[in-house]
Amino acid sequence: MNIREATLDDMIAMQNCNLHNLPENYQMKYYFYHSLTWPQLSYVAEDEKGRIIGYVLAKLEEDPTAEPHGHITSLSVMRTYRRLGVAEKLMTQSQNAMRDVFNCKYVSLHVRKSNRAALQLYRDTLNFTVQDIEKKYYADGEDAYACRKVLRE
Amino acid sequence: MKELPPKEANLFREILECYQSKQYKRGFKGAEQILRKFPDHGETLAMKGLFYNQMDKKEEAYELVKKGLRQDLKSHICWHVFGLLYRSDKNYEEASKCYINALKYDKENIQILRDLSLLQMQMRNLEGYLDTRHQLLELRPQNRQYWVTVAIAYQLLGKPELGVKVLATYEETLKDLPTTPDYEHSEMLLYHNSLLEEAGQIQEALEHLDAIEKQVCDHKAIKENRARYLLALGHMEEAQEAYRALLAINPDNVAYFEGLQKSMNLLNSSGDNRNNGKLTEEQQSKVLDLFMSLQKEYPRSNAAKRLPLRYATGEEFVKITDKYLRNMLRKGVPSLFVNIKSLYADKEKQKAVEKLALGYLAALEKSKGFDHSGSIIEPPTALLWTLYFLAQHFDYKRDTNKALEYIEQAIQHTPTLVELYMIKGRILKHAGEYIKAMDALNEARQLDLQDRFINTKCTKYMLRADKMAEAEKTIVMFTRADIVNPLNDLVEMQAQWFALAAGESHLRQGQIGRALRRFHQIEKHFNDYTEDQFDFHTYCPRKMTLRAYVSLVRLEDQLRSHPYYVRAAHGAIQCYLTIFDKPDGEDDEAMKGMTEAEKKKFRNKKRKAELKAQQEAEDRKKANAAALEASKKAGSNAAVALVEEDTEGRPLGRNPKVLEALARSGWQ
Repeated sequence: MNIREATLDDMIAMQNCNLHNLPENYQMKYYFYHSLTWPQLSYVAEDEKGRIIGYVLAKLEEDPTAEPHGHITSLSVMRTYRRLGVAEKLMTQSQNAMRDVFNCKYVSLHVRKSNRAALQLYRDTLNFTVQDIEKKYYADGEDAYACRKVLRE
Repeated sequence: MKELPPKEANLFREILECYQSKQYKRGFKGAEQILRKFPDHGETLAMKGLFYNQMDKKEEAYELVKKGLRQDLKSHICWHVFGLLYRSDKNYEEASKCYINALKYDKENIQILRDLSLLQMQMRNLEGYLDTRHQLLELRPQNRQYWVTVAIAYQLLGKPELGVKVLATYEETLKDLPTTPDYEHSEMLLYHNSLLEEAGQIQEALEHLDAIEKQVCDHKAIKENRARYLLALGHMEEAQEAYRALLAINPDNVAYFEGLQKSMNLLNSSGDNRNNGKLTEEQQSKVLDLFMSLQKEYPRSNAAKRLPLRYATGEEFVKITDKYLRNMLRKGVPSLFVNIKSLYADKEKQKAVEKLALGYLAALEKSKGFDHSGSIIEPPTALLWTLYFLAQHFDYKRDTNKALEYIEQAIQHTPTLVELYMIKGRILKHAGEYIKAMDALNEARQLDLQDRFINTKCTKYMLRADKMAEAEKTIVMFTRADIVNPLNDLVEMQAQWFALAAGESHLRQGQIGRALRRFHQIEKHFNDYTEDQFDFHTYCPRKMTLRAYVSLVRLEDQLRSHPYYVRAAHGAIQCYLTIFDKPDGEDDEAMKGMTEAEKKKFRNKKRKAELKAQQEAEDRKKANAAALEASKKAGSNAAVALVEEDTEGRPLGRNPKVLEALARSGWQ
């Protein structure tokens, strides 16, 4: 297992990994946009052969009304690579970069209400707190938990 | 420029602004107003054409723009507009010719120079790009973007040392340096540093790091570069320290471990690093000691535990692998075998792993531990994961019977574990039993209907078994339900795996037209990836993310060496060869022995049938769309029946132009 900063060369594999695992998908340009705007924030996990088996795609939320903070656009790990703590390690690296490079005070993300495993990871393992429920956040009408974690006081 | 009276001249300026601010309708009306009085005013005609283009009226657009240009051949606006029109159709070659003409009549027009440079970059006319960006720099030397893009041009032309000079000159002009780190400035400095490295000026690059460190936000980049430079310059002790500091930041980064090893002369760069790396005995014992101490320092690092397996041999290998395997089997890590498999290139290691795993199985069955000592009672899942591991091990050796035996035992142990059926399917697939393999995956899928991963895997197996209808029915469970053909969601989201697997399945079944459609879809995705870079030619020099930008440009330059593209190209070539060999497909057989007249009659009949089928498909599609509309209105989320857009999918395969092209390219 190798955890490292994502580069432009990883984007096709990240898109592929995302399409295998999650119902929220994005066109390549959106991956490019992330990596070309905040190259320090996205990370990948590779297996022994160098295949991408997990990723975190992250950004900076630069809404002029709120203070800048990190946001997790997408995180997933191939099912067959579970139980190695990959998601947690990816998240830790991305969060550190948000704090150290962009001076973020906190990081936010959304979780599907039905995705108990993900909520458990964010809340129990990664110390996120649920801030709010966003009604019908997802395209299919499902609600989302809006979660947040403080990165520095 | 043909002069308009003041009132109309003002109006003309307004319509130019309308175009900038995307108020196309207002602009269009303004243009019409001018043309009522001055129907031959070239620039207004051209602008009207440009507005037509925004309204998707291509023909009118080209007609008017050309007409405008004929009226006013020396107008930079007319030429610029013509260029914009070509550019919007992605005809970059023609567009840049227009811009160059426009510049003849307005040499220092910043907007046109910028537009031209973007096309030059997109077409990788790097000499031209350098030249245009140089002109911009001369016109606007206070603008940072123009400095950095000249540096980029030099770098891409293989002259990074000139890029360094450009940036150094620019940096000297800066008076008020940011007192706190500023991200854009920081990115520029790191880009400057990367140019020094690329120019091979490693000592300078190292010193440069010290100079810029305080102004840089990306501290990790500084540390990584410094470690790499120290190593390259042979400052081994400092390099060692630098890599240890990096491991403290990320103890799962394999490159950091390798850097540390190199700094301690414990990695032969020539050797195969995945296996032993041809270390001497002394090096081997040192590297194992190193990893022992790193494991203590970073108990949660997987890499620190796994990497020594590459370097250990003989007894030592057995000892540490034993510990590693027990730990993973106890935890129930599903990827253990895939992780270990790469060691099997070494037959000794393969044997040792087999012996260990078989030993665990015997001991677990008898004494509930990984050995017979009885000191530790393992959880019942340890047996399950050991069986799972052994099944994969014997599958690797293509001992299908043994592999199936173990996986069946595992399934008996825990019939609800998705992973077990996935491996069963894999074993069957390797044995060529595609239908049975698909059935196993479908069982797995039904155990966890919420999981897209298993749905995807199952679909792949269905496609491998050439069960297209089942595959489509399965995959759309996770695509958008609110569009007419949910399969199009996969196309829109650029799901290459699906297009490839589907294309290959069609090819196996001799459905050449459909196969080609899928392979060309892949080509389209790659064309889109190429197109995607366009906006970043402006965006990145503004954002200063120049290191990332240069990697994008380089990625794009060898994009089509990507395995997906290569596979699709192979598939498409096979299709075209088949068409060439048998232009009438399956009908070749049927037409054997017919006279020319009979053949003609046969083909006519066939064509009529195809037209009829096509019409039916159209009707079904319409009915489907209507049903969707109705269900939307009724507020129901009822799943929509799947209708193939194109029942035969043959137009491409039968396209005489394609055949001609093949013939021309020397296939006759």
